[in-house]
Amino acid sequence: MNKKIIWVKIITDNYYQVLFRLNSIGIVIYDNIIKDKYLLIKTNYEDYLRITKYLISYKVTIYKNAGIYLIKDIIKKYIVFIIGIIISVILLIVVNNLIFKIEVNSPKKEIQLLLKRELKKYNLDTLKLKKSHKKIEEIVEKILENNKDTLEWLEIKYDGLILVVNVTEKTKVKDEEVYEHCHVIATKDAKISSLNIYRGVALKEVNDYVNKGDIILSGDIMHNEEVKNLVCASGEVYGEVWYKVKVTIPLIENYIEYTGKNRYNFNIKINDNKYKILKSRIKNKKEEEISLYKLNDFEINLVKEKEYVTKVRELSEEEAYTKGINLALEKINLTLAEDEEIILKKVLKNTVNDSTIYLEVFIVTKENIGYVLVL
Amino acid sequence: MKNLHFKEYFQNYLYDLDYFITIYENNLHVYNYQKLTKLSEQEIILNINNKKVIINGNNLKIKQMTKQELLIYGEVLKVAFTYE
Repeated sequence: MNKKIIWVKIITDNYYQVLFRLNSIGIVIYDNIIKDKYLLIKTNYEDYLRITKYLISYKVTIYKNAGIYLIKDIIKKYIVFIIGIIISVILLIVVNNLIFKIEVNSPKKEIQLLLKRELKKYNLDTLKLKKSHKKIEEIVEKILENNKDTLEWLEIKYDGLILVVNVTEKTKVKDEEVYEHCHVIATKDAKISSLNIYRGVALKEVNDYVNKGDIILSGDIMHNEEVKNLVCASGEVYGEVWYKVKVTIPLIENYIEYTGKNRYNFNIKINDNKYKILKSRIKNKKEEEISLYKLNDFEINLVKEKEYVTKVRELSEEEAYTKGINLALEKINLTLAEDEEIILKKVLKNTVNDSTIYLEVFIVTKENIGYVLVL
Repeated sequence: MKNLHFKEYFQNYLYDLDYFITIYENNLHVYNYQKLTKLSEQEIILNINNKKVIINGNNLKIKQMTKQELLIYGEVLKVAFTYE
């Protein structure tokens, strides 16, 4: 029989007398706690009734339940809170295992539609449950098998609640266009530094100077001053190209210095619109964002605002000179391809006037100057 | 012929009349006492069969209590038996 165990409070200042009385009426005590003005005893409910019957001169009340009944009481007291937590956890688990958006990384609309249709077949759609990694691999294999003429490579992965599909389309190799008659001409005034002829006749040699538009490789095959055949000339022509770059650098420049004063703020980003939660108190600031939560186009960020002040400093002529040369080189570098380079730099003019340094820099580059002109 | 005392053993088994007192550090366990005749901070007196068990000590208290058992804690200084 499961006896209800309770804590009983007996108001008394004579512990020994009460215990003696309880013993005389055969009360079972599992535990007891002595306080200043009262005594707490752990007993069963039947004995509590007997105590109230026999110890009529004492004030006897149930203090609290014990054992399983105490747990029941706690559950009863916090039932709303406990149900709330359980529902929250269930919701969290469900939401974490749902797909909210499918992102197909392909610029082509038809590929996007094809993949979304294919994914739907395997029950991968928005507001559907996520599938295991193994299952995803199987789906990838099946989709690739079904679309082997269209798709080259496919990857499906989860990024939070988004199903990301990376795809490479099968490219049909186009037959290289064959032109019948073309020349290779110079795109810039230059001195030829290297020449590789694949087809055609070279009209210029290495170290020859050419102007823009000059034919370097000809598609006319001549024999005895007569055109015997027409081909599409091709080859690699590199030449030295000269540039004169003028730069002006002020000797007084502004720069920013962080004060060390930082403030934190939050912003909500919906689509491309940002809304700050707190009022910003720093006037001149740079902001760093840390993403706290992201769901589709909705984002909550922690924003660190770093205060700065703008200061002025005077550059030495040497510093300005170096800065000017670097700027000139940078300007030219931006126009160069990977296989092209700067091979020489020389300062032609260097004057200082009115707190500004004026530089004229001569730069020589090695560039691909050949261009196929189809006739 | 040797007397096997079957009757006594059987009675003993059924009525569980044996008692024992176990002393631990600051605890004293009494099994099968019959009556608590005195309870105070310095002295607890129990009746067991035809004996009185007198427990002397300081700050003696009862931790657990049933009709048969008592668990006493406190500074136990002396346990004595007297025959009535």
